[in-house]
Amino acid sequence: MTLDYALLVRVLRDPAQLAGLWPVDVSGLIDAASETRLLGWLVHELDARGLPVDAPEWLSDRIGSARATSRECERALRWETDRISRALGATGVQWMLLKGAAYVAAGLPPGRGRRVADIDVLVPLGDLPAAERALNEHGWRPGALDPYDDRYYRDWMHELPPMMHEARRSIVDLHHAILPRTSRLHPPTTRIVERAVSVNGVKIPCASHLVLHAAAHLFHDGEVSGAIRDVVDIDGLLRAFGGNAGFWTDFVGEARALDLQRPAYYAVRYARRLLDTPVPASVDRELRAWAPPAAVAKTMDALVTRALVGPTRTSGAKTAALALYVRAHWLRMPTLMLARHLTHQMFRRDAST
Amino acid sequence: MTTLDSSLVSALRTSGVQLTIGPFLVHVRSSLPGVRNYLDRFYGEFPVRDARDGHFSVSVVPGRGLRRWIRPQAISLINGARPFYPLPGNLAGPLFEWALNWAIGRVAHRWVVVHAAVVERGGRAMIFPAEPGAGKSTLSAALTYSGWRFLSDEFAMLDPATGLVWPMPRPISLKDGAIEIIRARHPDVIYGPEGTNVDDERFVHAKPPVSSITRVHEAAVPAWIVTPRYRAGAPTSIVPVARAHALVQLAGQSFNYNYLGVTGYETLVRAIEHAQCFTLEYSDLDDVIARLTEMTDA
Repeated sequence: MTLDYALLVRVLRDPAQLAGLWPVDVSGLIDAASETRLLGWLVHELDARGLPVDAPEWLSDRIGSARATSRECERALRWETDRISRALGATGVQWMLLKGAAYVAAGLPPGRGRRVADIDVLVPLGDLPAAERALNEHGWRPGALDPYDDRYYRDWMHELPPMMHEARRSIVDLHHAILPRTSRLHPPTTRIVERAVSVNGVKIPCASHLVLHAAAHLFHDGEVSGAIRDVVDIDGLLRAFGGNAGFWTDFVGEARALDLQRPAYYAVRYARRLLDTPVPASVDRELRAWAPPAAVAKTMDALVTRALVGPTRTSGAKTAALALYVRAHWLRMPTLMLARHLTHQMFRRDAST
Repeated sequence: MTTLDSSLVSALRTSGVQLTIGPFLVHVRSSLPGVRNYLDRFYGEFPVRDARDGHFSVSVVPGRGLRRWIRPQAISLINGARPFYPLPGNLAGPLFEWALNWAIGRVAHRWVVVHAAVVERGGRAMIFPAEPGAGKSTLSAALTYSGWRFLSDEFAMLDPATGLVWPMPRPISLKDGAIEIIRARHPDVIYGPEGTNVDDERFVHAKPPVSSITRVHEAAVPAWIVTPRYRAGAPTSIVPVARAHALVQLAGQSFNYNYLGVTGYETLVRAIEHAQCFTLEYSDLDDVIARLTEMTDA
């Protein structure tokens, strides 16, 4: 069965709809949430609402499994964070957690039951060798990559090739920037490091930078499932921070400082459009100045709407998803490099089937 | 042996059918004749009905485009995910089996699931936790076809609520040399076609006795934990080990005890608490069957 992202987005918008779903739909929702790594969110909503009393046994088994999975994911992530802390703590390197690991460390809503494939760590470029060495000494080994992939990372990316722990198999992505070297945008890592905040013994980006990093990531991995989760993260963060005095002013200022005005615009726009995220009217007006030219804005709106909220199985939705995939890479690389990379990936996909 | 009636055959192709395999409801959908034949051969005694929900939803679909005709492929979708690369079309039936293994190992957290073969005598279960290649399928097949009840050659499903181990009498997966050994000893058993899996091993599926399949709802008390190792030419040696040793073995072979937190750990402890624990090295099946049977009669 194909995953029903449209149903997922409908329930994300209005979780009260859960009460009216048939068991087979709740089951489909577990599948879609699992693929988008939103199982933690779904379990939280299901538990908060209580199961329908007539839920069949197979469905309560499925939900029980989902609950166990999201608990274990969060526990394992906390443990890995603790181990990374031990590895990097003694080095004097200025390191911080990003994204999922940061949300979990800070107890933010998008961290609930979070499944994180790769733990993202940011260090200043100058600290990269020391951090790599320390992680290596504590069991994280660089992956065996073919020369193309290794060069792809070392030359073009903002992170080292993923390092996997030899015993526990956890993966650390060691970053020196939040966007690729080849990207059109270059948010300065120094500012993110300077404004980092301490939570529960680790450092994470400040509130505005957490949102801006999620914004910079929006549509960057090119997968529809990833895009839904990114929008949910942005919504969750904005709802968590939006009420704090001074947050919005800081957010707008930092979007400028990190040169992430356009991603900030998209993030707020699609969080509002998909999930009705509350945003002050004055901020909305300010962000509108960062919109792309009208024709581009219209195309993006159409693509995002069709890919994320349209019926998943139509060819329109698939075309929109493909367009977002190509656009993601367009943002990451200059044109010629993009052509080379997509060609390489295409032959690779073909060879693997 | 029953076979799918025509309305269920057409449902299998379109919306799918629901098989009851022990505690699991498995929704399976496939237009490929390989899957239908496989279900007919191995799952004839399991209840099947026209329904499209359950614990797991497994679709086995043909490759697309040219792949329908040239070197046809089978692709599995499990609860909407696609964890495996496409396989050659002639593996469609076994692919259903592997997909189900993947699902049980990954998302059946009502139980503590241990990678192990399980057989039973007199209501008491013998659990063989082991890595692939230790010979646990061969051993459980040999014991099963010599009169023991077969529970599983892949999963010991320990119920945290009762401490009992649940049966999962699905086809036994014999590999490489074990194929000829078991075939020669038990020519009357129903076997599937021989194939080569993704690890480049020859495999054949063997059907458990109907008497084991019909007792699919009878859980058993863990009574012996035996870590097996096949070594060519070795004399049978059954050595008692400390319960702690067996506990570590069970934990090491468990897919998910950590997912259940303290309950997961306590369930493993409960399994060894009243069990006798051994390591077993063997090569002579007749001898090992006699020794284990004697041990359980004592």
